[in-house]
Amino acid sequence: MNFEEIEERDGIRFTWNAFPSTRIESSRTIVPISALYKPLNPRPDLPPVLYEPVTCKAPCKAILNPFCHLDTRAKFWICPFCLQRNMLPPQYKDVSSTSLPLELLPEFSTIEYTLPRPPQLPPVFLFVVDLCQDQENLQSLKDSLIISLSLLPPECLVGLITFGTMVDVYELGYTECSKSYVFRGSKDYSSKQVQEMLGLPVSSAAAAAPIALQQARAVSGGMTASRFLLPIQQCEFQLTSILEQLQPDSWPVANDKRPQRCTGTALNIAVSMMESSCNNSGGRIMVFAGGPSTVGPGMVVSTELREPIRSHHDVERDQAKHMKKALRFYENLSKRVSASGHAVDILAGCLDQIGMMEMRSLSASTGGYLVLSDSFTTSIFKQSFQRIFSRDAFGHLALGFNASMEVVTSKELKISGLIGNAVSLNKKAQNVGDTEIGIGNTNSWKMCGLSPKSTYALYFEVATQTAAAPQSNDKGLIQFLTLYQHSSNTFRLRVTTSARAFADGGSPLIINSFDQETAAVAMARIAAFKAEVDDGPDVLRWTDRMLIKLCQKFAEYRKDDPASFRLSSQFTLYPQFMYYLRRSPFLQIFNNSPDETAFYRHMLNIEDVNNALIMIQPTLLSFSFEHPDGKPVLLDAVSIKSDAILLLDTFFHILIFHGDTIAQWRNAGYHEKPEYANLKELLQAPRVEAAELLVDRFPIPRFIVCDQGGSQGRFLLSRINPSETHNSATIYGAPSAHAVLTDDVSLQVFMSHLKKLAVAVS
Amino acid sequence: TLSPYPEAAPNALATQMGNVNLGPDPNAAMMPTTELVSIDLYNQTPEISDLYAPPLPINLPLTYSATQAETSNCPPKYMRTTLKAIPNTNSLLKKSKLPFAIVLRPYTSLLEEDDPVPVVSDTIISRCRRCRMYINPFSIFVDNGHRYRCNSCGIVNEVPQSYDWDSFRNVQRDRWQRPELNYAVVDFLAPQEYMVRPPQPLIYVFLIDVSFISISSGMVATATRTILESLDRIPNKEGRTQVAFIGVDSSLHFFSIAPGAEEASQMVVSDLDDPPFLPRNQDLLLNLRECRQGIENLLTKFNSMFASTRDSSNALGPALKAAQHLIENIGGKICCFVSSLPNVGSGKLSLREDPKLLGTNRESNLLHHQDAFYKSFAVECSTNQVSVDMFLFSSQYQDVATLSCLPRYTAGKTQFYYRWNASRSEDALKFASELSDYLSSEVALEAVMRVRGSSGIRMSSFYGNFFNRSSDLCAFPSFPRDQCYVIEAVIEDTITKPFASFQAAILHTTSSGERRIRVVTLSLPVTNSLTELYASADQLAMMHVLTMRATEKALSSNLSDARDGITNKLIEILEVYKKNLAGQNTGAALPLQICTNLKLLPLLCLSLMKHTGFRKSSHIPSDLRSIALCNLSTLPTSLLTRYVYPTLYSLHDMPLEAGTVAEDGVILPPALNLTSAIMQTFGLYLLDTHFQQFLYIGKDAVPQLAMDAFGVSSIAELKAGRFTLPILDNPLNTRMHAILGKLRSLDKGTIVQPSLYLVRGDGDPQLRSWFFSHFVEDRSDTAPSYLQFLQLLKEKVRD
Ligand SMILES: [Zn+2]
Ligand SMILES: [Zn+2]
Repeated sequence: MNFEEIEERDGIRFTWNAFPSTRIESSRTIVPISALYKPLNPRPDLPPVLYEPVTCKAPCKAILNPFCHLDTRAKFWICPFCLQRNMLPPQYKDVSSTSLPLELLPEFSTIEYTLPRPPQLPPVFLFVVDLCQDQENLQSLKDSLIISLSLLPPECLVGLITFGTMVDVYELGYTECSKSYVFRGSKDYSSKQVQEMLGLPVSSAAAAAPIALQQARAVSGGMTASRFLLPIQQCEFQLTSILEQLQPDSWPVANDKRPQRCTGTALNIAVSMMESSCNNSGGRIMVFAGGPSTVGPGMVVSTELREPIRSHHDVERDQAKHMKKALRFYENLSKRVSASGHAVDILAGCLDQIGMMEMRSLSASTGGYLVLSDSFTTSIFKQSFQRIFSRDAFGHLALGFNASMEVVTSKELKISGLIGNAVSLNKKAQNVGDTEIGIGNTNSWKMCGLSPKSTYALYFEVATQTAAAPQSNDKGLIQFLTLYQHSSNTFRLRVTTSARAFADGGSPLIINSFDQETAAVAMARIAAFKAEVDDGPDVLRWTDRMLIKLCQKFAEYRKDDPASFRLSSQFTLYPQFMYYLRRSPFLQIFNNSPDETAFYRHMLNIEDVNNALIMIQPTLLSFSFEHPDGKPVLLDAVSIKSDAILLLDTFFHILIFHGDTIAQWRNAGYHEKPEYANLKELLQAPRVEAAELLVDRFPIPRFIVCDQGGSQGRFLLSRINPSETHNSATIYGAPSAHAVLTDDVSLQVFMSHLKKLAVAVS
Repeated sequence: TLSPYPEAAPNALATQMGNVNLGPDPNAAMMPTTELVSIDLYNQTPEISDLYAPPLPINLPLTYSATQAETSNCPPKYMRTTLKAIPNTNSLLKKSKLPFAIVLRPYTSLLEEDDPVPVVSDTIISRCRRCRMYINPFSIFVDNGHRYRCNSCGIVNEVPQSYDWDSFRNVQRDRWQRPELNYAVVDFLAPQEYMVRPPQPLIYVFLIDVSFISISSGMVATATRTILESLDRIPNKEGRTQVAFIGVDSSLHFFSIAPGAEEASQMVVSDLDDPPFLPRNQDLLLNLRECRQGIENLLTKFNSMFASTRDSSNALGPALKAAQHLIENIGGKICCFVSSLPNVGSGKLSLREDPKLLGTNRESNLLHHQDAFYKSFAVECSTNQVSVDMFLFSSQYQDVATLSCLPRYTAGKTQFYYRWNASRSEDALKFASELSDYLSSEVALEAVMRVRGSSGIRMSSFYGNFFNRSSDLCAFPSFPRDQCYVIEAVIEDTITKPFASFQAAILHTTSSGERRIRVVTLSLPVTNSLTELYASADQLAMMHVLTMRATEKALSSNLSDARDGITNKLIEILEVYKKNLAGQNTGAALPLQICTNLKLLPLLCLSLMKHTGFRKSSHIPSDLRSIALCNLSTLPTSLLTRYVYPTLYSLHDMPLEAGTVAEDGVILPPALNLTSAIMQTFGLYLLDTHFQQFLYIGKDAVPQLAMDAFGVSSIAELKAGRFTLPILDNPLNTRMHAILGKLRSLDKGTIVQPSLYLVRGDGDPQLRSWFFSHFVEDRSDTAPSYLQFLQLLKEKVRD
């Protein structure tokens, strides 16, 4: 089975590509049945489908697909999910086995319908800009924002809110001069208050959430949206001039104080405004934060500089005094913003933390982006920001808005949950399972922002209690229905239908169907999800336990004989993934700030299997005169050579690491001499390779160039397998490889423990 | 003189009576004050020309003064007293029943250059070490000029060092040339110790009601255009003057302009929770010079920014707080332009006026402020050196009573434009002209005033717009140049010296940033004689004090108490006079006597009781009453006199020289008594109340008069009401313009441009009845005629 081909076609990868046929057997396979699904997987080859989909009767509502049984003569079809018989609609009267509609063709297991009724408003982009920054940073941010106006489709609506000591909401439709509505930074306004003060219609309480296949509700207040949210083509001049005039927050800041920055209030006002102006219509609130929130609801640190911002240690010792309140505030805001259908992107330009940890729920529940950069002058920020607005093959913004995803399963399967940046739509359908993994108890989720990269992990359980005699044609079916607002101002419905055979739990069919990469990522998401709520050590123990159990189930060994331990090819890399997962920033938090941890975990929940795997186990290339084009090497201390240049890709960092000798040569300037052109080329090669890695990456990774022994090398040393620590250095001479100072066990030690425990009689 | 515009009927000549004008006795002013001349009020037509005559001279020989300069004693336009001789004991004062008060007008013109006072510029200020009186022309030098005796307490003080040294030119100077020894009114340039901080710049915060009614009446457009056109008139010699603009409806609209920027930014604050906040910490206060272009652009488009408003709310209270907050560390003026009743946030007011209350006892409640906010906020403003001026434009009830609280306690002013609408060009022009003059007026800042008397005299009551901070210290966040103050005094200890002094000292910062002290010193002889007291009484100053007392009564108690206060005082005076001073045998059967220098006092009292501010009536909207009380309590004596007893001129038969230019400017016709009996049905009259001018044309006027005066062939073509006199090429019209112009420029210390009304003898009864309500000598529905009043007085005056 070619996972990649399927991934390319359907944007989906399963942990198991054959499903154990009973509940018991399924639970014994340890790694749950899970799909990593990319609803907006780019399919420029898909023909446009401009008609309404044919749906099965309620409550099933599955959509006609290649797995349906079709009676072309009697003009009915049998739904493979519920086995109900449905009549074909009149327009399908000419269907025959030689003339099938697209959705019934096997190659269209993924299809996208363009629904006839367009959304009432084009996508909305509301910029929420921190003014507590120095002139240079702000200038750079302003430049980026102005550029973004040219990157967005001109019909998109834009709005601007600035914040600092106060919050300013700009009335872009006002042409006499720059005009803004100003709010106190320190006050917790109700949504109604904000709307009244802006002269907007007051939004009704929680708007009913849309569900798949239901047309988006009529958008309220199209007219009033226009004062603050205007099509770019209409307000570009005004907005550009306002942006150009923005000055750093001018309220005085004492030497021993932080500036008064009311990020929470600004967000609350942004959300309240969007609730009234474009409720349930696609939009993104993009927050640009130059530092932590210090006043008002959602403050994460006080203005007193002597009070440092909370660290993981503070959190662990329950000494992060603003954290719980802030988390509550932002979580509440997250509920509101996701209910009204808008995504929140948080882009930080700050050397220190900005409170992303507290604010993360805003992006996590809406499919927003997080970007961490040291300042808005960095290319990390500038390029990442621009990439948000990249276009697809058709020239449309590669973004989906206000989406919902419903999962339909055949009766043998039930849904345990979803892990990804979304919220539950609380639809307790029949196919909702008993166990909950991630966001469960529903078969539908809402993701206000989607990108072609957005990948969701869905977890399933087998419902079949007793083993009926397995039949070769028994298949578990899963259909993903993703309804979203497309940037071409249409509603789209993406339908992916997957079918996988059922097989006996221990059968080779099951073993061979194991996708260890997907499994590693699916388990990593669970681990990171658990880590958000549980203690770190508990999560580590859980991953270890699951690994041991998996090996016990699928390895070949003799009891109590570690040497006999063998894993089949489908499983060989899995323990190593788990080893590096334990060392990854998802679970090892103390090397990072809470904001960084939040960011890393957030990215894990966005990216697909391949990228997530790089995050778990970074790739390492070695460039030397023998391999001037680079050669993949083990993520291991043995790979550090004085005459080689290493290129490490952790997804978040790209590091070029010059061996001692190379560094000396370079420092001596040899590469400038014509006779050492090959050195020049060698020095260049990893940079070329790195540039290629950057092409498709979001956010732009931190790019580090360092030499062996330099302090920046820690990024490499913290991730590689410490096969050669100082403890293991030979007494009789220099160590054969670079010694890594660490208390962590090496992969070899980890494996030997694993073998011992796996083969032990339980 | 024979009128060129005679009565149409040939036999009406006989009715031409009362036109005899004796004019003031040219020698009257020269008579010694000690001589008491009684008259019988009954036998006199009130000689109203006395209203315009200079007050009695002060009978204090110049030999008491240091330099014997003619200017040693204070001209009455700055300070005059009810009594030109000071009773030596309190019992004498009490026995006389005469009010004893100073009427003080420290500035007589809107611009210093129009009536300058000498400046003592070497910052040498000598003050008595005991009573703190400033050295003045009546200080007596002793000990070969090394020391001087204080004319207040008598203690001997050292003459300051370098008193005779000109430190600018480094030469000996002639002490006797020093201004403070030659002039009763001088400005001292203050040395460092008179400054608690560097002189602050002049600041105007323009707080403009931008609600629907304000926009639709054209107020916003007129105000902003006038400010724009007056930018060069705002005092700004040093380039330090700052302005700010706040629009108010249901929200506060702020405008920021960075120095040099062409365009303003508008910031709307709808969160009015207390305390209101400022949206920016900079660029809201705009340096008039540095932000000139931005300010001009803002004012140009200001009205159009709000042109489409539907907002009918007015958050004046929060706006005032925000404006105050904006300048609380500097001080300055908040100029409010308000067309609607504040109805949002702190200080919101209810539409409390009920027409049924008018004329009843409960009417007086409407003259008291209805919300404590305005008074307590005023105190806060005063502390922070902030003055509030109110320009009020009602279309309905505006609650002038409450809103005028702020100006009253912050030394501000209240201007009321009743039923104003810019679509009437007269309305627009009047407001624009007054606002422009207001803006061009020099303003003193951060001022405190102390009025001292010689030992034995204590200041007991203070009247006027300011905050009385302690017993004799009055605080003026800014000191206006068009207001007047009355201070009553009592005698605490017997005064043994031959003369005593009053001194007002106003420490202030000029608009151009100089710290100065204006010192006004008045010295008066001391007497132990009741006769002399009465002979020295000043009836206009007397009227001024009674006005202030009545105003205070109306504001603190009720209107009938205010009226009673006036009559009772008058009766007391007449009683004292009758008992102690009246001639034994006057010949008349039942004479009502008073000394000739007080002969107009009964008429003035009657006029006061018939004034809009106090008249018993059920037809006067409380806003009009309240603004009248504001005016009564701030006008200087000369204008107050006209306000209380308007000037009536007959134009159709005025003397040939009237309306022509002589040496002293345009000659005015003789003023007439306010009795309708003298009105000819064919005549043309001008009535001037200072705030209004009425042209009244009788129903029988000949066509030629209508043609010459107004350019119409018949009065039927004239539209009564707000009026602009056309400019015509004939002598009558030209002279009328000259007279109107002269009346408008009589006083350089007022911004008021009177509104001109045309009243037709056969016209709108309401307008006519308003016009004739000024004829105080006539009988009205609720008040007696002058003669009836005298009869009443006589009945009440006991033997
Ligand atoms: Zn079905
Ligand atoms: Zn003294």
